[in-house]
Amino acid sequence: MRDLNKEQLELQNPEPCLVKVQLFEGPLDLLLHLIKKNEVDIYDIPIAKITEQYIEYLEFMEVLNLQFAGEYLVIAAELSLVKSKMLLPKPVIEEEEEDPRAELVRRLIEYQVYKDAATDLVSRDVLGRDVFKREYIDTSFELSEEVELIPVDLWSLIEAFREFYKRRSYLWAEEISIEAESVSIDDKIEHVMMRLQDNRQLKFEELFDDCSSKFDFVITFLALLELARTENVDVVQDSPESAILITYSGEAHSGSF
Amino acid sequence: MDLSDIKKAIESIIFISDQPVSVDKLSLAFPNVDRSQLRKCLKELVEEWGKFNRGFLLSEIAGGFHFRTDPRYSEDISNYNKKVKKFRLSRPALEVTAIIAYKQPVTRVEIESIRGVDSSGVINVLLERRVVEIKGRKEVIGKPFLYGTTAEFLEVFGLKSLNDLPTLKELDEITQNLEPSITPIPEINESTI
Repeated sequence: MRDLNKEQLELQNPEPCLVKVQLFEGPLDLLLHLIKKNEVDIYDIPIAKITEQYIEYLEFMEVLNLQFAGEYLVIAAELSLVKSKMLLPKPVIEEEEEDPRAELVRRLIEYQVYKDAATDLVSRDVLGRDVFKREYIDTSFELSEEVELIPVDLWSLIEAFREFYKRRSYLWAEEISIEAESVSIDDKIEHVMMRLQDNRQLKFEELFDDCSSKFDFVITFLALLELARTENVDVVQDSPESAILITYSGEAHSGSF
Repeated sequence: MDLSDIKKAIESIIFISDQPVSVDKLSLAFPNVDRSQLRKCLKELVEEWGKFNRGFLLSEIAGGFHFRTDPRYSEDISNYNKKVKKFRLSRPALEVTAIIAYKQPVTRVEIESIRGVDSSGVINVLLERRVVEIKGRKEVIGKPFLYGTTAEFLEVFGLKSLNDLPTLKELDEITQNLEPSITPIPEINESTI
């Protein structure tokens, strides 16, 4: 390890940039890899050996300047715990004592089940890779050329919201229950985006269809403002008196994941 | 309208459709035709299109019927149409999809406890791709979202319904899988002596 460290450090830039590469899907994946590599029985994992290799691996990732998440350390701690339990002198056998490794093995096997299921899924004839279907262009939402849409300015939008908010205020006039809302603006933005992707276009008022509280109304409106600011949506109307329309304007959002 | 006409009408409806056509939807278009008759027509159509040996097939997908291309020509299609919607899911995304598919409705925490790794980013990608959706909230502290698969999931993986999902591998198969591919020379195991 030491020599490698030195060599690797020399290769590094003076200002190392952190690279996020997923060499393994996660700590369990790494463990499964080590079990396979060492050709050991999953029901009889040589914990000391595997733990050592696991930690070596983490060290190596550090040397390579790869970021690894805290989850790797959680499993490292778990491994060390199991290792120490294995080292403890066994008490006089009274009952069938559970192997300290049992829980870890159960998790590894469960994870492997789903890894295999994922492999099975992707080995099917996948749409967009092996098979294709008719690409249909839905024209029903394409507005006719003649209608000149005008962008709605911020004040008109706020005015529209104020009016709408007043009209709907009866909804929560009697509201007494206090509920801790867990929805953040980000969640709401996500939610509004999903609705717009489904519908491509919504009327301003439709946006609030599923709002049940004052808080919900306000946060939905803030989400709309944010989406308009980041140009993920267009806010338009075909005349100053007509309904305000919210249209989805592309995939700019996908980059953030 | 006799049955052979109805059959052709159904065929043309499926032809123009961008989504699998279900018996439910068809029965709205043919209110006077018995559903069993519709099913019979569909069954015959599937058989006939299978026999035609053409570039595309009539397949039962996501609770409906749809024309899809023969997988043998996927490369030619991609070469011809560069803009064709490409399937792209990362390995972690596939894992999360599998967990959601088999354990739905399932929360993020439950998914993460299986994978041992944060999965919120991956879930967001899947939500955006419409492969999974929020099915509701679990009645526990924090009321976390419950995720499940969509009709699009069935379409992407060519499944008739969720019952069409292959059964999860049995433990034996899994452990077999984990065993070394090359069987080492059998060693005398001290503990078994």
